Order: sequence, then C-alpha cells, then structure tokens
Amino acid sequence: MQLSERQNDALAELINIAFSRTAASLSELTGHRVVLDVPKVAMYPISELTTRLAQFLPAELASVHQVFTGPLTGDALLLLNYDGAVMLTELLTDEAIHSHRLNESAREVLTEVGNILLNACLGMFGNLLQVRISFSVPRLHLETLGEMVKSLVIDKEELRYALVVYTAFRVRDSAIRGFLVIALSVVSLDRLIQEVEKWEDNQGN
Amino acid sequence: MLNDAALRWMNDLSAQGIFLTDAGLTIQGWNHWLESRSGRAAAEMIGRNLLDEYPDLIERGLDKYYKDALEGQIRLLSQRLHHYLLPIAPQGDETSFTMMQQSARIAPLVEDDRVIGTITVIDDVTERISREDQLMRLLSREQAARREAEMANRAKDEFLATVSHELRTPLNAISGWVQILLKQGVANEFLAHGLAVVERNVKMQTKIIEDILDVSRIITGKLSLSVTQVNLAPVVEAALDAVRLAADAKEIRLEWALDADAGPVSGDPGRLQQVVWNLVSNAIKFTPGGGVVNVRLARVGSQAEITVSDTGKGISSEFLPYVFERFRQADSTSTRQQSGLGLGLAIVRHLVEMHGGTVSAFSEGDGRGATFILRLPLLAVRSTGDLLLQSRDKLKGDGTEPVFSSGGRPGDDNLKLRGLRVLIVDDDADARELLEVILLQFGAEIKLATSARQALAVLEDWKPDALVSDVGMPNEDGYSLIQKIRALAPERGGLTPAIALTGYGRPEDRLQLLAAGYQVHLSKPVELMQLVDSISNLTSRDEKKLYTPVE
Repeated sequence: MQLSERQNDALAELINIAFSRTAASLSELTGHRVVLDVPKVAMYPISELTTRLAQFLPAELASVHQVFTGPLTGDALLLLNYDGAVMLTELLTDEAIHSHRLNESAREVLTEVGNILLNACLGMFGNLLQVRISFSVPRLHLETLGEMVKSLVIDKEELRYALVVYTAFRVRDSAIRGFLVIALSVVSLDRLIQEVEKWEDNQGN
Repeated sequence: MLNDAALRWMNDLSAQGIFLTDAGLTIQGWNHWLESRSGRAAAEMIGRNLLDEYPDLIERGLDKYYKDALEGQIRLLSQRLHHYLLPIAPQGDETSFTMMQQSARIAPLVEDDRVIGTITVIDDVTERISREDQLMRLLSREQAARREAEMANRAKDEFLATVSHELRTPLNAISGWVQILLKQGVANEFLAHGLAVVERNVKMQTKIIEDILDVSRIITGKLSLSVTQVNLAPVVEAALDAVRLAADAKEIRLEWALDADAGPVSGDPGRLQQVVWNLVSNAIKFTPGGGVVNVRLARVGSQAEITVSDTGKGISSEFLPYVFERFRQADSTSTRQQSGLGLGLAIVRHLVEMHGGTVSAFSEGDGRGATFILRLPLLAVRSTGDLLLQSRDKLKGDGTEPVFSSGGRPGDDNLKLRGLRVLIVDDDADARELLEVILLQFGAEIKLATSARQALAVLEDWKPDALVSDVGMPNEDGYSLIQKIRALAPERGGLTPAIALTGYGRPEDRLQLLAAGYQVHLSKPVELMQLVDSISNLTSRDEKKLYTPVE
C-alpha cells in the first residue's frame, strides 16, 4: 500500500491544521510562541518502521502513547529523543537550570504536550470521518525505538501500516525534532484515505 | 449493584480527589478526599455548577479542557504548566506554596456512544514539587560553583602566563648583563652600569616572588601578622625612603605631610610599610615624568588616614570596582604599557582588612589621576608615656627597617665586622662563596663548612663569633645542627650566636627556627646590609639591638 502524491499532500494539509491548533494551545499555555514545523508525511509498513526512524532516534526515546478505539482503531505516539524531550520541557516550563534528566514533573508536562498533539490529530480524523473516537489515557514511556515498535506489533496483530509525521517544535530560538506515529489497521487506513480524498475533492470545489 | 457498592468505597477510600459532573458540568459526585481537603461537603457541592463554584477555571482557560472532555477527549493537567486545578489550600504548614499543587486528569463519561458527563481525578503533588524544586536549587548552586571554579582556574592560567613573562623579563636583563660583564676588558663605567642593572632587576624579581608568596599565603589563609603597637609616621617615612630613587628617576615630585600624632595603631609594622610602599610605588608607576605624588598621614576621628594621590593616568570608571581584585589589571593585553602581576593592590586590601582597616580607590577617570585612602583604627591610648617611648624606640629598630630597602649604607660601615670570626654552613658552593665574599668585604674572618657534621667540627676547633647556616641541607639540616650546638657546653661553643637562612620566609618557619635555637632568621635572597647588621648586632658590636633572642 502506497500513498499517492495527492493523498500525501492532502494528509499533510489536514495534519497541519491540527498542528496549528496544537501550537496555539501550547503558546497560550506556556506564554511562549510555540510553532510546529509544517509536517512531512510518509507511510511505511510497521515492519519497516525501525529502519526508517533509526537514524533520527538512535538512542533512548521518550514516547507519549495513546491507544484509540471505536470506528477507527490504532496507536498514536509522539516520539522525541530523550535529550530533545528534556530540552522541550525545560523550554516550555521556563526551567533555567539544566538537569539533563526528566523528573516526574517534566514527564507530566511531556505527557500533557503529547496528549494535546495526539488529541488534535485524532480529533481531526474523527471529525473527518464523522465518528467518535475513544481514547485511552496517554502514557509516557522511556524506551528504545525497537522496544516501542515491538509493543505495537505484539499488541495488535492486525496492524500493518504506520503514518509517520515528521515535524519539529520551535520554542524560543530552539528547534526540537519530533515524530508522530499513527499505527492503523488496514481497514482503518482505507477508510481514512477515502475520507481524505473526499475532503480534498471538496476543497477543490 | 456491585458497581454502586464499589463506587461508594472508592468515594471513601481514594487518596486522590475525584469529582463527577453531568454533561452540563453540574457536580454529581464529590469524594471524601475533596471534602476534607477543600473544606466543602459533598452535600453542599452536588447540584452546583462547577464553573459557577470555581470561576477561576474560566480565567485560566480550563473550561476549555472540560469542553474537550465533553467532546470525548481525555485531558491532562501537569502541575508545571497549570500549578493546580482547584484552588485548595495546601495541607500542613511546611510548604511555601499558597495553593495545593496538583496534577489532574479529566475524562469523558460515555454511555451508548454518548458523553453523559466528566470525571476528574486530582493528585496532591505539593510535597513532590517542593522536593524537586529543592533539588533544582541544589543543582543550580552546584553548577554555579563549578562555573566559578572554572573561571578561577582560567584566571590562574592567565596569571601563570603573566608570572612566567614577568619573571623572564628581569632574568633576561640579568643574564644579558652578566654575560657582558664576564668578558675581559669591560670598561669601568660599563661595569658599574651593568651591575646597577643587574641589582635593579634582582630586586624586581625578588618583589615578584614575594608578591606571589603573599598571595599564596592569602589564598591558603596562612598569612599572619606579628602585631605590636605601631606609630604610623615612621612607617610611612620608611616606605617613602624606599621609593625615593624610583621617583627621582622619573622626575616625579614626592610630596608628603605626616602628622606625627596620627597613631598609634595595632599592627604589623613590616606589613603596614609594605601596604604604604605598594600604594606609593603604584602611584609612581602610573604617573608620567614630571608628575606629583602626594602622601598624607592624618588623624580623622578615631582613625588614622593615609592618603596617596597622584597626577597619573587615573582609573576608568569601568575598572574602578575591580582594582583590588586578584589577577586584575586594567590592561591585560600583551602590549600593555605597565609590567607587573596585578597582585599589589589585592595584597594591600587583604593586609589592610587584616588590620581591621579599609582601603578605597577614587578617580575621576582616565588621565585625571587617582587617590587611594587607607584608614586604620587608632589604638585607644591608655599607656603611660614610658610605654609609648619604649614602643617608639622599638619601632626605630623594627618599624623603620625598610622591608624592601635600597640596600646601600654609608661607607664607614665597611669594617663593621672587622676581626669577627664567622662560620658559614651551606651545601651549595655558590651560596657559600657569595656569603664569603660579602662578609670578607666587611672585614670578617671566614671559615666554610659544607655540612652540619663539618660545621660542628670547625665550631669546636675554631670557636667562631657567629654562625650563618643554611637550613635545607641533605643528610642533616639546619635544625639538627643548631640543636647539637645548643647541647654543647658554653666553652665548646654552645652559645655561639647563630643566623638561619631559608628560601621560604613563612612565619611558622621563622618561629620554629627561633625556637630551635637560632637568634635570627633571614630569607633568601639575603639583603647584604641586613646580614651584616645582624651579625654585628649578635656579636654586640652595635649598641642598637635589632633582635631579641628568643629562648
């Protein structure tokens, strides 16, 4: 399964709307201008995910993981390098002291940021499909890329594909690279792509 | 039914705050934890609207979170971004927070695919946040300390580079002139000039090393004072004597007005003279030829005030706050006009503060001259005239002895040591020879010993009038030597006056040496006249007693 260029562009545009909302929420929340880079979207089979992301996430990573169920089912994750996660929380909370580690409060902040971002994207998909998506409570994990991918494959055997969204958080002259991974079953993915195409057609009218 | 029973227990047992609302945000449940923490009973809260009861949720944009929840989303509130959800007073009084710090989760209550309300769970994280903040403060202090240490380290590196440079400069002149003078057939005026250059540079280098040692003592807290009652006028005069040549050489007019009644103070005369000398020679250094350096000593209230002002280059307002800092120089470029380590004023301030005084610098800016004012607390004069007289006499010996004297004395002293037998003990041949040459010039008879053992043999055999001994020697050192001598019977030389020479003039060495049996301790490099005077005094050729033997 491959996304056509048109499908890809339409998805990126939709996600960008969700990103703008997220950036606005984060800016309001922190009092700093937060910008999310225009997303680059790609779709890979889950089996390729580790290879595709390894160069960006070489060591331990921080992931905010939210499972969603309902008419659309899958896993949504925000992935950051551990150091990037520390930096992002320090920037968002005005922490002037650099501790180089995520304490409990920093983990909470990161989970909230992931929650806002994932909710915005999935909420947008839900609206598009005119269905209500049910969310689980977001959880933060500190793990390697391999461990993260393994948890996807083991939990949901029918999952085959992952939408990977490349972006970066820009806060106070710093950019922190982040990745959004939305793992979907083939059925869910088919439905999503159909709706994205419809949306795109309507945009054209 | 089972669920209802469980819910009732959860309401009572939970260690978190839990409340429920319907889809209109009317409160439908308020658990025991919330009752006890907020002081508001469930009976009171149930049926009321959440946003009416807590309008500050709207002010802080949290109504939006409930709106999202009502649309089926789960929302988290982290303490770091929100501090708290409900304004509740903190528990206990050991916290600096005015509100209980909270993290919270808001979730939709869904039935038949329809959101019928919300559930909110609140954690009290006040203690955790206090702990984290405290850790952060510790970390911050530790990081600041590390930064400071790194800066100090850099300053020391720079200092080391400056020291090397400053030590090499006089060494260069010395080595160059010595090579010229070693050649045969050097013209007489050349010889005199060359020797003068060598002498001047040796003094310069001695001063640099003394400054470094002083700073090292200051840093390690080992600088100590030999405190007596001191009259300041002779101290200032002595310092002026020591710089007169330098002022003359630059054609700088040295003016002074000394109030002889400004004193006494309690202090170390040698150190006070060093302070004044530093200030005055600094003034001369930074004043161009033809300028004026003015020194005043006056009594101001209960303080003695020494003012040193000049017509020199002045101090810029940017640098003024740092003049007394170690390793600081206004111009640290390699092409700077003035040599020196930038230690003098740091030493001055430290010494003055050790005396309970203050020193401050004033300047109207570049090119406008500078003024240093030194204030020392006066001693309450309760002593009788006799005591004062006695201390003045003592000062003539101690206080007016220039620490950095210009060396020369009138020529009629030349045979001061005539006929005196002096035994020199040193394992270093050059040092032995130097002492021999000096003392021979003053008419002494000399014998040399290269070790303590040899010295003891010569002592008993030759019966010298005085002994001058190095302290650091292989096998047997100067301590051991003097202990063996003092153990001898008087007729075998047990009472021979003895002078110790050391390369390190620390006060504790001095005390140890005097306790071991030496009468006098002198630091290397030896000041010629000081050595001659000491020998002369010890052998009672001079009526003026400089040193009191310590038993």
